[in-house]
Order: sequence, then structure tokens, then C-alpha cells
Amino acid sequence: MPDNLSLSASCVPASGANKLLPMRVLVVEDEKKTAAFVRKALQAEGFAVDVCHNGEEAWSAARLTPFDAIVLDIMLPGRDGLSLLRLLRERKNTTPVLLLSARGEVNERVEGLNAGADDYLAKPFVIAELVARVRALGRRGGDSRSAILRVGDLSLDTISHQAERNGAKIELTAREYRLLEFLMRSAGRICGRMAILERVWDYNFDPGSNLVDVNVMRLREKIDENFEPKLLHTVRGLGYVIKAPA
Amino acid sequence: MTIRTRLTFWFAGVLVVSLLAMGGLSYYELVIEPRNKARAQAAAKNPDEVKEDPPGEELLEALAWSGVPALILGLGGGWLLMRRALAPVADLTQAAQRINEHNLNQPLARSGNGDELDRLTEVFNSMTERLHQSFTRIREFTLHASHELKTPLTVMHGELETALQNETLPPPQRARLESQLDEVQRLTRIVDGLTLLTKADAGQIALAREQVHLDELVREAFADAQSLARPHDIAVTLKNCEPAMVLGDRHRLRQLLLNLTDNAIKYNQPNGIVTLALGRLGENAEVSIANTGPGIAPEMLPRVFDPFFRGDSSHSQAVEGCGLGLSIARWIVIAHDGAIEISSRPGDLTTAIVRLPICKT
Repeated sequence: MPDNLSLSASCVPASGANKLLPMRVLVVEDEKKTAAFVRKALQAEGFAVDVCHNGEEAWSAARLTPFDAIVLDIMLPGRDGLSLLRLLRERKNTTPVLLLSARGEVNERVEGLNAGADDYLAKPFVIAELVARVRALGRRGGDSRSAILRVGDLSLDTISHQAERNGAKIELTAREYRLLEFLMRSAGRICGRMAILERVWDYNFDPGSNLVDVNVMRLREKIDENFEPKLLHTVRGLGYVIKAPA
Repeated sequence: MTIRTRLTFWFAGVLVVSLLAMGGLSYYELVIEPRNKARAQAAAKNPDEVKEDPPGEELLEALAWSGVPALILGLGGGWLLMRRALAPVADLTQAAQRINEHNLNQPLARSGNGDELDRLTEVFNSMTERLHQSFTRIREFTLHASHELKTPLTVMHGELETALQNETLPPPQRARLESQLDEVQRLTRIVDGLTLLTKADAGQIALAREQVHLDELVREAFADAQSLARPHDIAVTLKNCEPAMVLGDRHRLRQLLLNLTDNAIKYNQPNGIVTLALGRLGENAEVSIANTGPGIAPEMLPRVFDPFFRGDSSHSQAVEGCGLGLSIARWIVIAHDGAIEISSRPGDLTTAIVRLPICKT
């Protein structure tokens, strides 16, 4: 069950680039209810969150405050998200930007990334996914990738692609390896189906099949079936999480 | 009988009748009248002596000999004249045949001479213009509707997700919220699919045109199909996979193959089989995906690509999905200048065949 969603601020110094101050995020979203739950979810992660409801407001906020990341809706009253983003990049503002769009087509994704966005998420989104992406933006550049990933007694060697649990070797297919690596790199955090499809399959659309689910089931048989405690958990409707019991 | 033939016959008929009338009149004037006069004069001079007839047969003969060529000339000339006169109609027919929902805004060329056909073209153009406007309005409506639906869907999804974070939620309530979350996600997939199809219909989606190794994509689809089929005890085999390069959008082609293999597994039977193959057929690469299962009734086949078409068997009701998979598959194939067909023998094999033009070099 998703107790990891409401992780306290204590997890931030471990992953954040700045060890003392919490990550400061600007959320630009005109739809008040959406802005409210995005703010709540980011604050639950220990981020400091500012919210703007229109482009002009966001432009002055972004000039005055150095943010660690900006969550930017494309459709905004006044100055729209894309033109705000272009303006920021023209003024040499390199704050990482996660674009939100209700349009969600590949074309708009490409357009957004060309305008200088660092990531893109289509509405409606899974909040856990938004949080994970914002965290990744804040960490960008400062991420030390260790060669051996560990969760509980499960270890994964990212060089030899060997998985081991409790001393027993586990055979993985190439796809299963990538899936496990992605889940273990985000250990303790929910990985949404869309994020898994993007990182593990390189799909940028929802194939509308349970491809992720059947592959996670298979992976679970290999890493969890003959072992205790269980590490790989399903968070219904949202995705999957790998974590060792506290 | 075409208008042209009818008019030609009428024209020839009128020509023959007028020729006959003219011939008859000349015969009367030149032959009968002089003969009667001569007889009358002869009778007046000498009632007992009856003179020989003046020569009239030559004229009749001449008339017959010139009548036949005149008739042929009339038919031939008439046909040519009619063809010329009706040429704008033929052009109009061809132009109208080319009209479909995507080029309604291109008017037919007008002669501009203000004749009946020109007026007909004008009326026709204004009709297609009105149709174009309605089509555009419907498309815009669907686009706006699916866009407008996304905001409340985002809010619903976000609030359900936030509510589910509550650890103290009693299990029945949690189950209810989770089930609602599933439905919100289903609705989202439908809205996304509709948006995609509407945009595709309006030509608003740009596809990449890069060289893609279709055989790699088929192998990948085979691996995905194997993992999808495992829980259902369905055996997936890759019969052959010849190298073939096509020009297109990698992501969309993968989506196409996954849609089709996913269907082949969903509409299958326990212990069934799915067979994939990629071969070359002349200028085309041909992907075939065959599966066992209840199949599709012949009368349903033409409609399988329609959005939300699900047949009426109890089996298809039980299968999850947004109902747009095959519509999206067809759009992807057509956007790649290919062809897709599905054949089915109920109780035996159902086969989807996709042909895509092979890219040279």
C-alpha cells in the first residue's frame, strides 16, 4: 500500500542536490484544483512550493526567485506556457522545466522539448509520476550512479547485469533487467506505468495493453516468489514500487 | 443509354426525317408535278395518246445513295458534337468523384461562361462548401470536447490519488476509490484515443519519415506478445522474419504491431496460438498476425475498423479495451501508404495482414 507516497522531508537531503535547503519548485497552473493537489503532493515530498495561476505572474516570480525546477502548464491565461518558456531560455534562465499539457500528442512533446523544456507530462497524469520527474529534474547533473544497486537483500550489478538475492543468482531477460534497474534506481518511490513504458520500452504513447503489468508479474516471480520479505509491490491504479520493509 | 447516345440518335433521326421530307418534296416538285402537267397537256392535246413517263427513277436512286451517307454523317457528326457539348459534364463527373471528406474545401473548376453547366458547378461548389463547414465543425467539436474533458479528468485522478494516500482508509472505501481510479484511467484512454483519431482525421498529426527496420520491430512485438500471452497459456510463434526496411514513424509502427498482437491475444481461446510472420511480397513488406479464437462473423468483418465496434458476441463484451485500437491501427497503416485487411473463418483462424511499401536502398 502506498505509504511511501507521503514520504517525509527526511528523504530529500539524501537525494536532493542541495543538502541543506529543500528544493524550491514553482508550479504554474491556472486550474486551481489541479494546482492545489500538485502543491500538496510536492510539499509532502519536502519541497518548498510556490504557485502562480497565470503566465505574467510566473514570469515575474521566475525572474525574482532562483527556483530548482518549474512545473509549467502550456495552456495559461495571459502569456501561455510555451512562450513563457522561450522567454526564460532567451534570458539565459536555465531552470529545469517540466511541461504539462492537456494535449499530450507527440508533436507537442517535440515542440515543448525544442522550446527548451527538460521533460514533458501529458494530462491527466499520475501525481506520483509528476513528483518523481520533478525530483529527477532537481537532481540532474549531480547524480552519482553506483554500479551495484541494493534493495534489502536484492542486489543488481549494472555492469555485469547480474541480479542476486540472498546469495542466489537470478536469470533475467534484457527487458526484465532494464525494468528491474529502473525500479531499483527509484527504490521506495512509485513508478507509474507511463514512466516505465517510457524508460524501459521507449514507448511515448499509451499502448492500452497490460504489457507493463505482465512483465512486472514475471519479474516478481523471479525476485520475490521464493523469498521473504516481498520487495516488489503493486500500487493499484498508479504503478509499482520496489522497497525493503522499514 | 447515356445522354450523349440518346442525343445522337435524336439528332440523326431529325436529320433523316428532314432529309426524307426534303427528298419527298423535291420528288413531288421535280417528278410528279411535271409528269402530271405533261399528262394534262398531253390529254388536252390528244386525249387518246398517253405519253411515256419522264425519267424519275434516277432522282429516287440519287436520293437513296445520298441518304445513307447523310445518315452516317449525321450519326458520326452528331456523336462528335454531343461529345464536345457534354465534355464539361464528364469533367464535372471526374472532379466530383475525387471529392471526399478531406478535400471538400477544394472547389470544382468553373468554365465561367454562365451556361447551365457553369451554374450547376456553382451550386455544387456551394453545397460542398457547406458540407466542409459541417465536417470542420464536427471535428472541432470533438477536439474541444476531448480537450475540455481532460481538465476534470486530471482533477478527478489527482484527488482520487491524494485520497488513496490516506493510510487509515478502511479497506471497503479503498477498494471503491481504486475502482473509481481504474474507470478514470479507462475514460482517459478513450479520450486520448478520440483526440488522436480526430487529429489524424484533420491531418494535424505529423509522422516521422525515417528508415525503420520493420523486422526489428516485428521481433520486438514478438517478445512483447510472448510476455502478454503467458498468463493466458497462449503459444506465440514467429514463423519467418525477413529483413525489410520501411519509411515511417518508429513509434507509430510499434504501436500498430502492439495493437494487433494485443488483439490477437485478447480475442483468443485458452491454449490458443498466435502466429507472426514478416515476408516480402513484391514492392511490399507483409506482416501477418494470425490467431485462433471465436473469430469474427462475415457480416461483422467490414465494420471491425469502426471506432467502438465490438461485435455482439459475449466474448468481446468481456474483453477490456478502449474500443479504438483497430481504428488507430488502420490510421497508422494508411498514414504509411499501406493497406490493412482482416479475414476470419469463425472457429478457425483470424488473420490481420498489413502491407507497407518497402523503402529502396
